[in-house]
Amino acid sequence: MGAERLRSFLTSRRGHLAFFLAPALTLITIFYLVPLILSIYISLTPLKYWQLNRYLTDLSHPLENYYRLFYLVTHHPDIGKVVITTIVFTGLTLVVNVVGGLLLALATYLMEERFSLFYRTLWLLPRMTPIAVYSLLWYYFFHGSRFGILNSILLSLGVIHKPVWWGVDEKLLPWGAWMILVYVNGLVGVSFGMIIFYSALRSIPREQVMAARVDGATTTQLIRYVLIPSIKWHIVFVTVWELLSLLTTYAHIFLLVEWGLIDKWWGTTWALFVFNTAFTAQALDQGLAAAAATVLVAIGLVLGLITLKIMGFKELMIEPRGEL
Amino acid sequence: MVEVRLENVTKKFGRVVALRDINLRFRDGKFTVVLGPSGSGKSTLLYLIAGIYKPTRGRIYFDDKDVTNLPPNKRNVGLVFQNYALYPHMTVYENIAFPLKLRKTPQRKIDEKVHEVAKLLHIEELLDRYPHQLSGGQQQRVALARALVKEPAVLLLDEPLSNLDALLRVKIRAELKKLQEQLGITAIYVTHDQAEAMALADEIIVIHRGVIQQKAPPKKIYEEPANLFVAGFIGNPPTNLLKARLVDGAIELGGSRITIPARLPRDGYIVVGFRPEHASVDAEPLENHASIPGEVYVVEDMGKEKILTIIIGGEMVKVIAPPTAEFKPGDKVYVNIPYRRIMLFDPETGARIEA
Ligand SMILES: Nc1ncnc2c1ncn2[C@@H]1O[C@H](COP(=O)(O)OP(=O)(O)OP(=O)(O)O)[C@@H](O)[C@H]1O
Ligand SMILES: [Mg+2]
Repeated sequence: MGAERLRSFLTSRRGHLAFFLAPALTLITIFYLVPLILSIYISLTPLKYWQLNRYLTDLSHPLENYYRLFYLVTHHPDIGKVVITTIVFTGLTLVVNVVGGLLLALATYLMEERFSLFYRTLWLLPRMTPIAVYSLLWYYFFHGSRFGILNSILLSLGVIHKPVWWGVDEKLLPWGAWMILVYVNGLVGVSFGMIIFYSALRSIPREQVMAARVDGATTTQLIRYVLIPSIKWHIVFVTVWELLSLLTTYAHIFLLVEWGLIDKWWGTTWALFVFNTAFTAQALDQGLAAAAATVLVAIGLVLGLITLKIMGFKELMIEPRGEL
Repeated sequence: MVEVRLENVTKKFGRVVALRDINLRFRDGKFTVVLGPSGSGKSTLLYLIAGIYKPTRGRIYFDDKDVTNLPPNKRNVGLVFQNYALYPHMTVYENIAFPLKLRKTPQRKIDEKVHEVAKLLHIEELLDRYPHQLSGGQQQRVALARALVKEPAVLLLDEPLSNLDALLRVKIRAELKKLQEQLGITAIYVTHDQAEAMALADEIIVIHRGVIQQKAPPKKIYEEPANLFVAGFIGNPPTNLLKARLVDGAIELGGSRITIPARLPRDGYIVVGFRPEHASVDAEPLENHASIPGEVYVVEDMGKEKILTIIIGGEMVKVIAPPTAEFKPGDKVYVNIPYRRIMLFDPETGARIEA
């Protein structure tokens, strides 16, 4: 009886769908949903110093961590810096990544194939370099001693007369730290957009581009009226994807702050704040960190949905080709 | 309207020679058809005229103006692609309006023009749709409208009917011809379909492997093909071509000896050609005809005619017979060809030998 029902379910249309979606759903449940629920739960407990036995079942003041977080954001000047840094970093790097990726893709699409390949590979290097090595490279580049590459170049050109601590000098903050953050992360990030946009551009039928040329389009008009509208969906996708990954990225930032290249607070984003609060010896305040993480997920979700809405996701959903 | 001229134009893609030393004149206001098999360089020729490609060598003129180095947007040509190449993110209206919008035409003028050309092509009720909501024939009209709306000096068409079904093709073909006459526009039309070429053209240019084979009005192409390739490419069924030996100035074919009133080499080989519709199949040889004995192999009844396949000296030829003809496989017959309908070709060069 049971087997019979299972078989008839699996051969039904809904059964097919369930069968094919099952692996993905299982993975999402195990690796995303469960940790998310867990961290929401932890945010409702006063967990600290990893004393699970003592705190994990304590739900007497479930919103305490959220009050504390709100208080910190509104009253603690350093946490205020973190919030502003997160907004500026995410916004600027997003623009750099999407616009930069688009410009690179268009440039490589319009240039001759043999240059194009070389050029694209060049831009992939940052992504192929291990995070620590890549961060170290920029550590040396922006280092505040006169041996820092940027300093030594500017010194020898006579632009500056004594070495500058670009990321920590009071006079340059906060922009000094922000610029380094945007620069280092942007350079890694553009290649993602570039690759997606480039392959999307390549899949536009050749004749459509020719038609636009014959219709009288200049290169600018070709880009504006044909190329960009044709890859609109890819732009939406990359924007949302980059937004969400920028909100949660912290690996490069962690190293640069840790090594003292950029200011501790003007260089810390919300994601790094979550990490520091949960895992560094000064804090080990897992409840608070979980609350901050939950807020981040919520913000990411809202921003993601808004972006999709603004960029007209519905309009881009293609009608299925007949009955499936 | 302009006359388009190509002088010594060669186009190479790397080591592939797509067009070799082309000299052509496309007459002002005429419908010229470029006919050739797949890969012969037809699209390349159109793209050169449109300015999408630059010739490797040679020059291109519109009237007296040298346009060789002008980009497409400075040439004022209209081009209809084989796959139409409509912009999928624009409505039909926007597609047609696009060339005008690029020229910064005032909106009121655009509106007027789009409706005018839409009316001409009977697609007014489609203006709000997107290309994926159209049938092949409708897309083809939209593509044509987009090419015509800017009143191009030359209209280029790259196999515009090849994606349509046979019935629609014949219908639109006639409309195209009418339209071109109406507008008096210089049209260059590319196809691999010889029937289409015959039906549409004021002049046909036959091209093969990047080399012009013949340029002549349809009637002349049909009656006096310049070489073996043209003879074999034009006509349906195609021209029968038989290799024959010359003995003492006479042609030896299928065991019989034909003497033709023409001056021929005394010996060697020659290719004899005749069209299936020009020969007749009879029980006996006829006066003033080259008569070759053969055997009926297959009879195809097409209703309005019968197509007979006859074996002559080990080779097959096709002959069209009236629907009333009573033949069956195995019949011993004579294929009778009027002398003046016999075409002779040099087997080495393929060139036709004038009688
Ligand atoms: N962009 C290109 N790069 C390299 N070779 C090309 C290119 N375009 C055309 N060719 C070559 O040039 C020759 C002529 O091509 P073309 O497209 O002009 O043929 P066509 O007559 O239009 O054929 P079809 O009827 O199949 O469209 C072919 O051998 C083709 O392989
Ligand atoms: Mg072609």
